[in-house]
Amino acid sequence: MSSPILEVKNVSKTFGNVKALDSVDFSLQKGIIHGLLGENGAGKSSLMNVLSGIYLPESGTIEIKNQKIQKLNPDIASSLGVGMVHQEFRLIESFTIKDNLTLSKANIFSENFDEAYKKYSEIFSLNSNFLTPINELSVGEKQKVEIMKLIFKNSEIMLLDEPTAVLTPQETLQLKESLDKLSQEDQKTIVLITHKLKEIKDFTERIFVMKNGKMVAKNLETKKVTDKELIELMMGEVKTSNFNKDNKKGGVKLKVEDISLTNEEQLKSLDDISFSIQSGEILGVAGVSGNGQVELANVICGIEKEFQGRVLINSQDVSKKGVKSRKKLSLSYIPENRLGVGLAPGVSVLDNSAIKEYFKASYGPHLSKGKMLGYLNDLIKQFAIKAPDVKAEISTLSGGNMQKLLMGRELISNPEVIVAAQPTRGLDVSAVEAIHKLIINQRDKGSAVLLISEDLDELFKLSDRIIVLYEGKIVKEVDINSATIETIGFAMAGINE
Amino acid sequence: MNKFILSKKLYRNELATFYSFLIGFLIALAVGSLILFIQEKNPFDVFSLMLKLSIGSVNSLSNSLNKAIPLILAGLGISIINSVKLWNIGAEGQIFMGAIALNFVYINTSINNSQIYIFLLLVSGFLGGAFCILFPAVAKVLFGVNEIITTLLTNYIVFGLTIYLINGAWKDPASLNFPAAAYVSESVYLPTVIGKLSSGFLICILFTLIAYYIKDKSVFGYEMRIAGGSALTAIYAGINAKQKAFFAMLIGGGFAGLAGAIELLSQTHRVSTGISQGFGYTAIIVAAITGMRPVGIFLVGCLFGALTIGGSVIQTIGVSSYIAEIIQATTLFGALIAQFFFSYEILKKSEND
Repeated sequence: MSSPILEVKNVSKTFGNVKALDSVDFSLQKGIIHGLLGENGAGKSSLMNVLSGIYLPESGTIEIKNQKIQKLNPDIASSLGVGMVHQEFRLIESFTIKDNLTLSKANIFSENFDEAYKKYSEIFSLNSNFLTPINELSVGEKQKVEIMKLIFKNSEIMLLDEPTAVLTPQETLQLKESLDKLSQEDQKTIVLITHKLKEIKDFTERIFVMKNGKMVAKNLETKKVTDKELIELMMGEVKTSNFNKDNKKGGVKLKVEDISLTNEEQLKSLDDISFSIQSGEILGVAGVSGNGQVELANVICGIEKEFQGRVLINSQDVSKKGVKSRKKLSLSYIPENRLGVGLAPGVSVLDNSAIKEYFKASYGPHLSKGKMLGYLNDLIKQFAIKAPDVKAEISTLSGGNMQKLLMGRELISNPEVIVAAQPTRGLDVSAVEAIHKLIINQRDKGSAVLLISEDLDELFKLSDRIIVLYEGKIVKEVDINSATIETIGFAMAGINE
Repeated sequence: MNKFILSKKLYRNELATFYSFLIGFLIALAVGSLILFIQEKNPFDVFSLMLKLSIGSVNSLSNSLNKAIPLILAGLGISIINSVKLWNIGAEGQIFMGAIALNFVYINTSINNSQIYIFLLLVSGFLGGAFCILFPAVAKVLFGVNEIITTLLTNYIVFGLTIYLINGAWKDPASLNFPAAAYVSESVYLPTVIGKLSSGFLICILFTLIAYYIKDKSVFGYEMRIAGGSALTAIYAGINAKQKAFFAMLIGGGFAGLAGAIELLSQTHRVSTGISQGFGYTAIIVAAITGMRPVGIFLVGCLFGALTIGGSVIQTIGVSSYIAEIIQATTLFGALIAQFFFSYEILKKSEND
């Protein structure tokens, strides 16, 4: 093996009391796609931030292209060809694709932009004119522009942080092909950060695994390693569980009838949706994001008021009722957007824990802090939430703990109807497992669950029935026993067999 | 070459606001000393004279606390409005409007029981302040108009209204051409408690507790915090964020209006341009320094009251009273800088070539 293009030895980084990186060794071979696997908080993003010069490690050495770098900063990293695509896009929305691609001072295609754009937009199957403003692109297209940005500033080492999180299965497949071409034709060195096992096996040649800030496996050959081994490395133990589907179903808890919703552009974002969910049943809603899932959840939960049709909870028509009265009828909503909708940023953990039922901690105009604290302590105990300081801002919690707090808050009162949108998005394997157990547990207690997810594995694992939303319509409804990934996938893509 | 980068601290010291204030105040004293030094005055002499004449006796202390009343009340109002993350720059106008509303009610009513009358007049002052912010509040809630601009503009409108009234309809013929409305009857003066200390100070203590209760202990305060944190979360929680913003603004404006009413009933006894000497603006400083905490606003308000009195008395030894304002403003400046250092840490990195 030739000498690595990038080599990191013994790198450590601490934040407060947390060792984000603990003597980490890492190395990259030129022209190869590497996978970096690990749970949330394992240190993957911290390591990438060290490589791109954003974090300064306390100790350790970094060598890029056989050059020892004493103190790496973003400028040096960029000039040595290290580029990173962050989970949140860093595009200027009102600028065109071309502006965004040529923004960097390291831009290498200023002379022959058109030619380069043609080449790379073909590699990425980006079918947009380069004069299109970013805000007219879909999420998947923005992702492509982000990655192309690295190419245009001549990054040889491309660090991609969870690039597939926002992509549909087809787009993911396409991304794989584009990355293959980049590594083979342009000899780009690529690091793919993910916690999706399947992707890491499909995409990469070499795998690194991190756990609790340590590098637990280096340079594994993807072909020679099994899923089970990777899970063991990542989690320390294997925790695979399949839930039984012989759950008892009872009376209808949630029924929606002929729901239609017209959006501001006079387009139908929901078109004649009808279904019902029984007690003890999970109805999965599949679909590529933006096909009416958010709107459907908002209609059911009382956030969206201007719709046609009826929503019935426990046979009671709640179509005209507000959010709070629906909650009192035992409806819980776990929104897709965790921080920003489900939880209020800048507000304390304590205040956020009470959002669902704060009125239960009140005596007239008085709000009992004692009651709120008691409630939060129950949540923390029952749902194993790690919250070091309940008076601190909500953002001091990790993503997994935020979601546990949100789920716990919505589930602790044992609601009869639960609407859960993307409940496990962005969470690590063990958090996903915990959230799945919570949902199944609630099902067995007799709740009716509407589970909106883009993760087909999740839908198949949890649901009793699956409906597929495409352009606001239910295009498919199947019982889980007769459902296959293919039929659902086709329906999601809007293809009728 | 060294480079510095900023990184936000996850946890802030609980007393960070207090330390920031202290640091700001020390910086302000240093700046004040420098200015005095340039004027060839001994800063130590000037400051000790200020101290002596602002808190050295019952009389001077009560003067200082009387000055603190409008600062505290208006500051509390600003802090309530800030619970929904809105800024009230219009406290100055609301103070004047409180006094105008009081005078309007006073002219048009007559009640023999002076205690009931005083109560009614104070209520009208509160409502006057609320009325003053009604238009910015409606514009904010219905059309999303930036409240910083509208509340600032109402200051000019209300000040114009004041000038208009005291030169026209309400002009006191006995004032010998000095533009001012007629004095209110002595029977409705706010009584003093100790020395010259107005009973308005007791009202001030009461309202500090009320503001603390509203912000920290009430359902309304909770709903304001959530609405201020994220409008989408408020909708999700079934909280009417616009309604909370609307009422927060009215209540906050009312606090400032009450300050104007107390100022009229305890100090000026009539509507004139002297109802406020920029209290509404200084109150922004007071509220911002304390991180919008009611008890802090009370304490810093008292200190700033004393500074104002201290500033006005040192004019007798030929030092401009502006030194007090410089200290007040520099305190905020210093405190904000200090707060920055409590919220962020600077990491040094050296670049290698």
